[in-house]
Amino acid sequence: MSDKGLATADEVCVEVSGLWKIFGHNPEAILESEETRTAAKETLHEETGCVVAVRDVSFKVNKGELFVIMGLSGSGKSTLIRCVLRLIEPTAGKILINGEDVCGYDNKQLINLRRHSTGMIFQHFGLFPHRSVLDNAAYGLKVRGVAKEKRYEIAREVLNKVGLKGWENYLPSALSGGMQQRVGIARALANDPDILLMDEPFSGLDPLIRRQMQDELIALQSEVHKTILFVTHDLDEALKLGNHVAIMKDGDIIQMGTPEEVITSPINGYVRSFVQDASPTKVVTASSIMEQPNVLLYEWQGPKAAMHLLRTNHLDEVFMVDRAGKLRGLVTLERLIELFRKGEESLAGAVDTDFVTATADAVLEDLFPLAASTGHPIAVVDEDGKFLGEIFDSTIMISLIQGRGEEDTGSTTTRANGKDENL
Amino acid sequence: MLEFPEFIHFPLAEWIDAIMHWVLTNWGVFFDAVGDSILLVLLYIERFLLWMPWFVAVLLVGLLAWRVMRHWLAGVVMAAFLIVIGSFGYWDLSMMTLAIIIAAVIISLAVGIPVGIIMAKNNRVEAIIRPVLDAMQTMPSFVYLIPALMLFGLGKVPAVFATIIYAVPPVIRLTNVGIRQVPQSIVEAAQAFGSNGRQVLFEVQIPLAIPSIMVGINQTTMMALAMVVIASMIGARGLGLEVLLSINRIEVGRGFEAGLSIVLLAIIIDRITHAMAARQEYTISS
Ligand SMILES: Nc1ncnc2c1ncn2[C@@H]1O[C@H](COP(=O)(O)OP(=O)(O)O)[C@@H](O)[C@H]1O
Ligand SMILES: [Mg+2]
Repeated sequence: MSDKGLATADEVCVEVSGLWKIFGHNPEAILESEETRTAAKETLHEETGCVVAVRDVSFKVNKGELFVIMGLSGSGKSTLIRCVLRLIEPTAGKILINGEDVCGYDNKQLINLRRHSTGMIFQHFGLFPHRSVLDNAAYGLKVRGVAKEKRYEIAREVLNKVGLKGWENYLPSALSGGMQQRVGIARALANDPDILLMDEPFSGLDPLIRRQMQDELIALQSEVHKTILFVTHDLDEALKLGNHVAIMKDGDIIQMGTPEEVITSPINGYVRSFVQDASPTKVVTASSIMEQPNVLLYEWQGPKAAMHLLRTNHLDEVFMVDRAGKLRGLVTLERLIELFRKGEESLAGAVDTDFVTATADAVLEDLFPLAASTGHPIAVVDEDGKFLGEIFDSTIMISLIQGRGEEDTGSTTTRANGKDENL
Repeated sequence: MLEFPEFIHFPLAEWIDAIMHWVLTNWGVFFDAVGDSILLVLLYIERFLLWMPWFVAVLLVGLLAWRVMRHWLAGVVMAAFLIVIGSFGYWDLSMMTLAIIIAAVIISLAVGIPVGIIMAKNNRVEAIIRPVLDAMQTMPSFVYLIPALMLFGLGKVPAVFATIIYAVPPVIRLTNVGIRQVPQSIVEAAQAFGSNGRQVLFEVQIPLAIPSIMVGINQTTMMALAMVVIASMIGARGLGLEVLLSINRIEVGRGFEAGLSIVLLAIIIDRITHAMAARQEYTISS
């Protein structure tokens, strides 16, 4: 959970702006007037026979991030992700990949892009049934014109990486669903593309296998740091994998943000209806609920100053940091009083190191056992041990209750079942 | 009064004659070239089949049948069929018939498979060709003798030509169907990895259409065999002519022998090509 592998921030890799895809005759007519541009999908279908699959969608995906597009079946996710590669020709809009306008590409440039910069993974795997696992994995390289020896060598390597060593000479039909999708992933990785496009890659798999594949994707991603566009209808999956999540409805992106933002402040009833299925224990992080303490004790302060600090603020305990802001320990009132009785001059004797720490991206689920194991607040620190904030038992409880409370005000819009929507 | 009035006269025959005349004067060179190439293919095959010692042919058929049908008994039976044909004294005639069939099938495939591919790739072409194929299939087979006769006169070439016209629809149809049946998701995957049109066709669509194309080849071969008997009416020598002659002379025994030879030849060809098609299916779906 802790490492979603957000490597290099802020370098935009894929940028989509004002993208439309309308299926049917004369789609341009719909784009011409403001009235039809904003009309409901059903109305337009009845009046013009056209299906608006993607409506004026804009988003940016940073290099190395995993961007999730989530929505119910029919919301336009597959169409959107295919438009990025122009497997489906967009009706209007702009797509920039690494700063280049893909819509302006001629056929040759487009093929070049697909051969070298992108790799796609499909819900139904899309494997070639007449080719061996090895040949499937090597397909992208073959199309590119890589010599046989070389492409087999690379394909073996990636098959190894996805755990399919020994299956090279089988046909895909001999493999289970999970293994077939591994072949699909290997085929995409063999090209070593910058960008991976995944259209519900795990939706067709058993829940257990699905979870395992998700975990492996996270592990893989922390190793390879690809830019990933990931489509799913499963909120848990979206929240688990995504650095950012975009929620689609009827072709629109209706909310976009980090998983946490989406879950803590759903923009409307529709999103809330999704979100109420997700457990806050899996998404709310330490950094979002921690508090900046009113007072902090510094290493160089003496026992008297410490006592004064606690008394005036009506506190029982306070965290102590050094000059660099690093957490040194916890000073409790109890220990201070003992120190005074003994008449010691240095604060060192009152420093208690028996407290627990958590990192900023720990989720509620991780914090429960920590809170239970200590009688003190939990200190939140970064990798260098720098003090960031503190979390009290009560805060954890409150954030839980808030999560539940918002559920009850949930609207009447269709409830997302999340899983197994498309099966 | 009761007779059909003579003034309602539709001069179709004259028109057709005029068209044929025009075709022959303007396209004569073209049809000569077509005829010559057909003859060339046919003669090579015929010469080879007649040159091949009978026991070699029997052995080859036996081995092939055994290999593709995966049963030694099948090989023995097919070889025995060929010996039966020879024992009737029809070895040479059956080889001539076989030569016409093989020539017609080779040319049918050379024309039919590309046409099927174009048809699969282009909806408009399909919309034009499909009704033509439907019409061709509903017409009685001897109708094809007429244009063949008009373009090439009497002899072997028009026989092969008529056989081709009659036999080509199944391979076109099944090539088209086979390619169209390749799941869109697989074609899309090929495109997503940067395949160009040629690569999609040769790496994915055609290999996956092979079982269907093989069924087409089997059907085309069987239709060629059926047609070759009829084509003997316009001068193709072979088993068909033998049947025709014995009917004319009311020689029942001779006609029966010739007819049986054709049936045996048909069984050999059908079983072998059918087994080949089935094997393709097996390799891909397993
Ligand atoms: N080729 C097509 N022709 C017409 N309508 C289509 C086509 N493909 C998709 N659609 C419509 O576009 C909408 C979005 O579909 P899709 O992108 O497949 O959704 P999702 O992947 O989210 O399930 C749906 O209403 C669907 O019916
Ligand atoms: Mg979809």
